[in-house]
Amino acid sequence: MPRKLRPWLLSAPALLLVLLFLGLPVLSTLATTFGDPKGPLAQYATFFNSRFRMTVLWRTMEVALITTAVSVVVGFITAWVVAQAPARVKSLLIIAAVFPLLTGVVVRSFAWLVILGKNGILNDFLLWIGVISEPLTMLYTKGSVIVAMIYLFVPLMILTLVGVLEGIPQDLTDAAASLGAKPGAAFRQVVLPLAVPGLIVGSVLVFTGSFTSYATPQLLGGEGQMMMGTFLYQRAMVTFDWVGASTIAAVMVVVTLTTVLIMSKIARRVNPMAG
Amino acid sequence: MTVSLSLDNVTAHYGSTKVLEDLSLHVGEGELVSLLGSSGCGKTTTLRLVAGFLEPTSGSIKLGERDLTRLPAHARNIGLVFQTYALFPHLTVRDNVAFGLKQRGVGAADRRKRADDMIERVGLGHLADRHPANLSGGQRQRVALARALVIEPPLLMFDEPLSNLDAKLRVDMRVEIRRLQQANGTTALYVTHDQEEAFSISDRVAIMNAGKIMQLDTPEVLYSRPANAFVADFVGFENMIPMRAISEAGDAVRAEMAGGATIDLPKEKFTVPAQDFILATRPEGLLVAAEGQGVPTKLGLRTYLGRAYQYQCDTPAGEIKANGPLSQPFESGSSAVLVPQPEQCCLLPTEAA
Amino acid sequence: MKQRIHPLLVAFAVLVFFFLLGPLVIILGSAVSDTSYLTFPPQGLTLRWFSNIFEISAFVRTMKTSFLLAVGGTALSMAIGIPAAYALARFRFQLPAFLGNIYVLPILIPEIVLGFSLMKTVAIGADVPIMLALLLGHALIVLPYCVRVVGASLNSFDFSIEEAAVSLGCPRWKAFFTVVLPNVRAGIIAGFILAFITSLNDVSVSIFLTGPGVSTLPIQLLAHMEQFFDPTIASVSVLLMGVTVAVMAIVERTLGLTFLTK
Repeated sequence: MPRKLRPWLLSAPALLLVLLFLGLPVLSTLATTFGDPKGPLAQYATFFNSRFRMTVLWRTMEVALITTAVSVVVGFITAWVVAQAPARVKSLLIIAAVFPLLTGVVVRSFAWLVILGKNGILNDFLLWIGVISEPLTMLYTKGSVIVAMIYLFVPLMILTLVGVLEGIPQDLTDAAASLGAKPGAAFRQVVLPLAVPGLIVGSVLVFTGSFTSYATPQLLGGEGQMMMGTFLYQRAMVTFDWVGASTIAAVMVVVTLTTVLIMSKIARRVNPMAG
Repeated sequence: MTVSLSLDNVTAHYGSTKVLEDLSLHVGEGELVSLLGSSGCGKTTTLRLVAGFLEPTSGSIKLGERDLTRLPAHARNIGLVFQTYALFPHLTVRDNVAFGLKQRGVGAADRRKRADDMIERVGLGHLADRHPANLSGGQRQRVALARALVIEPPLLMFDEPLSNLDAKLRVDMRVEIRRLQQANGTTALYVTHDQEEAFSISDRVAIMNAGKIMQLDTPEVLYSRPANAFVADFVGFENMIPMRAISEAGDAVRAEMAGGATIDLPKEKFTVPAQDFILATRPEGLLVAAEGQGVPTKLGLRTYLGRAYQYQCDTPAGEIKANGPLSQPFESGSSAVLVPQPEQCCLLPTEAA
Repeated sequence: MKQRIHPLLVAFAVLVFFFLLGPLVIILGSAVSDTSYLTFPPQGLTLRWFSNIFEISAFVRTMKTSFLLAVGGTALSMAIGIPAAYALARFRFQLPAFLGNIYVLPILIPEIVLGFSLMKTVAIGADVPIMLALLLGHALIVLPYCVRVVGASLNSFDFSIEEAAVSLGCPRWKAFFTVVLPNVRAGIIAGFILAFITSLNDVSVSIFLTGPGVSTLPIQLLAHMEQFFDPTIASVSVLLMGVTVAVMAIVERTLGLTFLTK
């Protein structure tokens, strides 16, 4: 095969798959949204003027932001402990974090269905110890969605941050100590600044993941707590409003892509290793 | 401000492995002592114990009157230069150098002035606002040095500070390190695996092996009078000829070597340490001659060294390297005698295996 | 980075791991409970919910579909992803830098948007058979794993070895199969297995491409959960966790699980 073309020929099948079956369909979805006879932006006017749609959008934002914030805090502390653990304990803890991560979303969401249901384990337990006299309604609330989302994404955050913390050379914390920095000061002045890029990357993963999730809000939120993912599905497959569904899709794409682009630019700027 | 460093009977373990055994070491005020040895000999462990990154199993570490043994690393006030430099990548050169001052509560203005002065002293005044990623290896080394010096520590420690630099820079930097250390009169402990580096700048050198100090002395003594076979081998005494004293022959001791050949060693020039001993020399310590008191040999391959010829010699005691004068080349295959040159030979006791 | 840590932080981390593993233990427990409803701790001990899975034909059918899809989609993705990863690593300077980003688009674009768009444009618009559309969709969502994981192995591969083979008279294509591939085997196995589990667990793309006749196990599970609430679901979940365990064992054997923290 011709020398110059070789790299391109090797890349072609994968490129074609992405361009034909991702690029084209997604662009077509986005294009659909501008085809309204009332003007190219009419669909968006409808979207942003609709109280219901905006409620769904804000709810999704809220859930995603809370999930991200909690995951950052919980994930960072846990990752810190994992990173300091002796080698054998550390590999066990990493296994314990990887296992849920590789277990499907449906299975993991189902667990919370069992825990939070009216006749669920938590209610049973609370009734049994006598804290409550009637089962609480925990399922199909924003809270149940958030708890399950946090459950979904904490392992991802832990693993990302363990990698980041392990990547900070021991010499740097040793150097800080030799220069007189107490452990707290070394953490604030050396470890934390060096972990910021990793924190940003982890946050982006969690935010976009929870913002676009489908199975969890479907199972634990139901009709009452619709989020962008479940809303898109409902518009497309229940009411067959494909243009409306496309508009929801477009909003999701814009939100996730801008988040990724802006945050990765910030991560690059604050990354000291890049100089 | 100058104080001495004392390690007394320090033993240390990594897990259950003993890495340092009953080690005692004294570094005098303003003295630079190097710990020299191959990797795993315990030199870096010793430094990390003094720095406070490791705790000894037993023994004590003192800096002047201050007992450091159980003090946390951040309270020890020791300037440490790392092999990797360990510069904080997120801080500028100035902030790196000022880091230690900040921990000591020095005010911002004073901090900046003292950091800038020190950066100037190591010749990096124009780079104070750069980040480490934008510096060359030599410049990073200087920042690391400035950062350790600016806190005016009573003790400076260096952990293989030059191993990541190219050969020419290494020579320049070690001179620089010695200059700054002497200018401040700071006591210093220097860890390296490079013999030339250790010998060139140290007041004294400790040669270490398997968690013990094999010999601690000035470079001059170590180079010419190693105290044991390990040190002799380490400093380049390539030939080790086992011998046994069998009788007195007038003013000399007659010794026998493998193969039954004997040699008379004049008592005024050689001190035989035990009945079984080793004659250790560098190639230039054995002179190839047609005849004389020496080790009989058959000469093998001859190579030209510029100042002498070197011969691979096949002796009853094994393969030996010896030098011969340029004026008198021997043919390969001829027989000759290797005459020990007293001032370049050491007689060492045979070590218990 | 080893430092002493505050016991409170350790306690917190212990709680977190309890939170992470507890729900999965609950599923395990309720799958073996000898009751017709989901409960924990289990009352009695039975495996009948596991045998019950195989009496529900929808589970058996979708299990087969999911497995075929995961194997087929991953194989397809590997077949085109390995050459792409090789080209990226080997011809780093001939190919534009953004090319590597194109392969990760399936991660960047929300999966649910991809699923919807595939349904609209490919399955219905182009009248592509549903099974083929599913296969393409799954190949797409696992492509980033194939390219990235294999790429990571290739980046540490010394291409002068390949040149040595060629200089010794081995044709290039043969050198690729006999010298390059065996040396990045660990990356290929790990990439395959991660892609496999991703495909097996997928919901967001599959949900739009399934319907009467064709469905995948997670979608069938979702549908089942909305109507029934018996331990069968738990036992299917346990089976899926078993697959996860197998996957982890293979990744650990090949690249090591710490690979996942990078």
